[in-house]
Amino acid sequence: MNVRLAKALAAVLVAGLLVGGCAPATAPSSGGGDDKTTGTLRVWLFDEPNRAPKQRVIDEAVAEFTAAHREVTVDVQYLAVQTRSERFRGAFNDPASAPDVVEFGNTDLPEYVAAGGLADLGADVDGWAEGKDLGPDLRASATTDGKLYGVPWYLGVRALYYRTDVFAELGLTPPTSQEQLVAAARKIRAAKPDLFGLAVGGKYTFAALPFVWDAGGDIAATSGDRYTAAINSPQSRAGIKAYTDLIKPDNCPPQQCADLTGGKTVELFASGKAGMAILGNFNRTAVEAGAAKGKYAVVPLPGTTPGSIAPAFAGGNNLGIMKNTQRRTLAADFLKLLASKKYQQQMYDAMGNLPTLTSARTELAGKEPFLRPFLDTIAAGTRFVPLHPGWGKIDAQAVIPTMLEKIVTGQATVEQATDEAATAITAALAQ
Amino acid sequence: MTTGSWWRRAADLTATVVALVTVFPIYWMLLSALKPAGEMQSLSQRPWTLAPTLDHFRRVLGAEDFGRYLVNSLLVALAVVALSGLVAFLAAVALTRFRFRFRSTILVMFLVAQMVPIEALTIPLFFLIRDVGAVVPEVGLNTLGSLVLVHLAFSLPFAVWMLRGFVAAIPEELEEAAMLDGASRRTVLWRILFPLVAPGLAATSVFSFITAWNDFLFARTFIISATDNQTLPMALLVFFKPDENDWGGIMAASVLMTVPVLIFFILVQKRLVSGLGGAVKD
Amino acid sequence: MSTASTALAEPRSGVRPAPAGRRTRLRMRRRTPLWLLIPAAAVLLPLFVYPIYQLGLLSVLDFRQAQVSGGQPTRFVGLDNYLTLLRDGKFWSVLLATVGFAAACVAATLAVGAALAVLLTRVSRWPGYALSLAAMAAWAAPAITGSTVWMFLFDANLGLVNQVLGLDGHNWTYDRYSTFALVGAAVVWHSFPFVMVTLYAGIRAIPEQMLEAAALDGASHWRSFWQIVVPMIRPLLVIVVIQSIIWDFKVFTQIYVMTGGGGIAGQNLTLNVYAYQQAFAASEYGLGSAIGVVMMLILLVVTLLYLRALRRGGEPL
Repeated sequence: MNVRLAKALAAVLVAGLLVGGCAPATAPSSGGGDDKTTGTLRVWLFDEPNRAPKQRVIDEAVAEFTAAHREVTVDVQYLAVQTRSERFRGAFNDPASAPDVVEFGNTDLPEYVAAGGLADLGADVDGWAEGKDLGPDLRASATTDGKLYGVPWYLGVRALYYRTDVFAELGLTPPTSQEQLVAAARKIRAAKPDLFGLAVGGKYTFAALPFVWDAGGDIAATSGDRYTAAINSPQSRAGIKAYTDLIKPDNCPPQQCADLTGGKTVELFASGKAGMAILGNFNRTAVEAGAAKGKYAVVPLPGTTPGSIAPAFAGGNNLGIMKNTQRRTLAADFLKLLASKKYQQQMYDAMGNLPTLTSARTELAGKEPFLRPFLDTIAAGTRFVPLHPGWGKIDAQAVIPTMLEKIVTGQATVEQATDEAATAITAALAQ
Repeated sequence: MTTGSWWRRAADLTATVVALVTVFPIYWMLLSALKPAGEMQSLSQRPWTLAPTLDHFRRVLGAEDFGRYLVNSLLVALAVVALSGLVAFLAAVALTRFRFRFRSTILVMFLVAQMVPIEALTIPLFFLIRDVGAVVPEVGLNTLGSLVLVHLAFSLPFAVWMLRGFVAAIPEELEEAAMLDGASRRTVLWRILFPLVAPGLAATSVFSFITAWNDFLFARTFIISATDNQTLPMALLVFFKPDENDWGGIMAASVLMTVPVLIFFILVQKRLVSGLGGAVKD
Repeated sequence: MSTASTALAEPRSGVRPAPAGRRTRLRMRRRTPLWLLIPAAAVLLPLFVYPIYQLGLLSVLDFRQAQVSGGQPTRFVGLDNYLTLLRDGKFWSVLLATVGFAAACVAATLAVGAALAVLLTRVSRWPGYALSLAAMAAWAAPAITGSTVWMFLFDANLGLVNQVLGLDGHNWTYDRYSTFALVGAAVVWHSFPFVMVTLYAGIRAIPEQMLEAAALDGASHWRSFWQIVVPMIRPLLVIVVIQSIIWDFKVFTQIYVMTGGGGIAGQNLTLNVYAYQQAFAASEYGLGSAIGVVMMLILLVVTLLYLRALRRGGEPL
């Protein structure tokens, strides 16, 4: 019994020591630095609607990598885009269980850098032959304070997908202005009540933003290095009104569309339930896998001025390495493999991802008519969300979707909802 | 008598209807798990299927490492049941068989502990487990051990509270007689009390089991990148792609997740009822 | 019902004083209960008490992602986080929704559970058996699988309910109240068995003679129900009421899963989902902790009510 008592006491003592640790510890600053050449390399990539083709390419890359590194296994996990932010936070807070190589959206970069989560890749990319092929603009998009924290992996811009069969049947031509777009959407819905005219959703931020930008508005404005919300400016409000007016029974009833996400929009268009949708080049495979296959075409999303193109969001994903990785060299090798021309091209074939390596992009542009509208959109000028760590919070708190949903469901007027969003945006960008 | 039997028949009918309604979601879950994919997508669902298939189960168990998660969940839940049963038994004995100074205070603490919203504790526990993991890697983040630890803590207060009644129901005279015969305190505890309390312990264990088995919050927060250490509820969320709900797969996974608890419940059903109703026995 | 509780009062025999001589022999070594309690303390002090202390500490700090992993210093902000909350209209609406939702769930759970418990005492063997078994199944179903199957039943396009009612495409989670009603139904489905089984067991434990005696005295079923059964199971009633309050106030899984983390424009948020989102998605660990503390305080009031009710009901602790 005494032995047992002693053991129990020891347990309490250990517990006491742990309690003594007091204040909520911050992440251990040590860790990392190690450079093991064996073991498991953990990779986080994004899950996609219709992931299978992406997974096939990745599996091939993993096979190639493990053939060259026999004592390494690669564990690839696909994160749902919606829950990525808490997963990444968990990884930053506990470096020991963080992955090594990660895919992340270019909008998340400032936040991840501020959280101290990403490693500087400057030296790796400089010493990488294919890295020279990365345009200076793209390098700059992943650079903060002179350090490169990500390798742009692909570009994504959105344009207008439309159903050629429906357009032909109703005698419509591809819209070249916002007015025509809205008219076409309503006409489709009126003629075919089981279709949405233009599928638009309250949770689809990147479909709404072009309307805001086209109207001359923006999420936030800068003066010096300070940001103030601009989402409640008259111009922004005009754009938001134009977008939310589309979520009406005559095009996309709030009942079905208020909580529509980008991914769900892809699904709707792919399964033939929408006449038009604002989708990215990277959604091509998902659409090809559905009922809409062979019955669609793409044009740039028109602006209000006839013949203009609404500014698209310059989307894209980067590959990065977690700062505390214990397999720095392996991680860099795997990253370079995924970002190589060979796999960028395969990812284009598989998913429609636009390569970031200039040579790969030029080659494709020459032979792929599918890419034209997207390249035209890029040429017309793209826009971006505030390059600020606070954007992550705006995104995680769903500030813009909440604003859109409140308007769409009639819980608030455009004025009230935009003012509310502006307060949240200014607060997040002030930190 | 005729009015009496009329009432009885009405009551029987009501009970049967309520039973059917109550069990219907479970039936629907099982049925949908067995329906072929074509019928699942159909816009006119029928409450039966003529072509049951195990396809969904095969897919779930094969493709998504579901079997592995099932084993993980079982390991965690069984470890929690064993540990919390043991610890709770000792504490319950202390609290029913002895009178000491802070006894009621401790009892109240066990009660208060049940009221704590455990979701709110995810934040401090995350940091705690991370720091513990730096010393004892076996229970750090990303491990099944960390899940055992937190679920042990959350299931214990209730286990102690419920077990108290089962210990108290055993006549003290038995122990006293054994001690008079020269049995040691330890013998009394493990050879006499423990076997007598065991059935009650089984009933109590259901709740510890559920605590561990149902959790997805801690699994989701603690198991950051170790895919091998995911548990069942997380796997269920994997099927839950917001954009293409694979209902057949989700339902098959749900069935696999429900069955072990159901078996456990049915096994201890009688004990559970007598334990819960014990309060008014005089 | 993972955190369900019952007060299993000690049968009176346990309190009865034993003959003095044996009693002292048994209870002399006062150190003994200590080692019996040490394992529990070893688990609960570090894993329960300490995190609660930390929760309080975090709630008075400016503690965000930059502090956790970005190397910025942690700052003491006093009650700022609480003031932010009190000034935040969203917090109040979430608090109100939480209380209203919990109250509705508790009322429905108790009404259904109690009615079925009484029904159970009146039915023949097989229907009673069927009802008990169905209730056990609903009770055993993990919250997450229960939520998913309810969602599937009410799915806009593929759900059985819409197909039977001919409401093709009707989105049950669009309207705030219809969403709460749907989630509430799933919660009640899941929690009424506890009430039913507990109360049924309580009623069955009432000695037959008491009811027979009342019947001989000419009391109607109705009268003997209110004058004998209800007072006899009153302690149990108190327990199931308070227990349901605590449990329904803490509903997390159903809301999180069925409304996709709070519904359209966050209209279906409840306090603990809100706290979790503030803390983990928006990385406002300080603010999230403050919400957690507020929740704990509210539940503490409930706990006090619980204890008082127990004491008044004559239950020895």
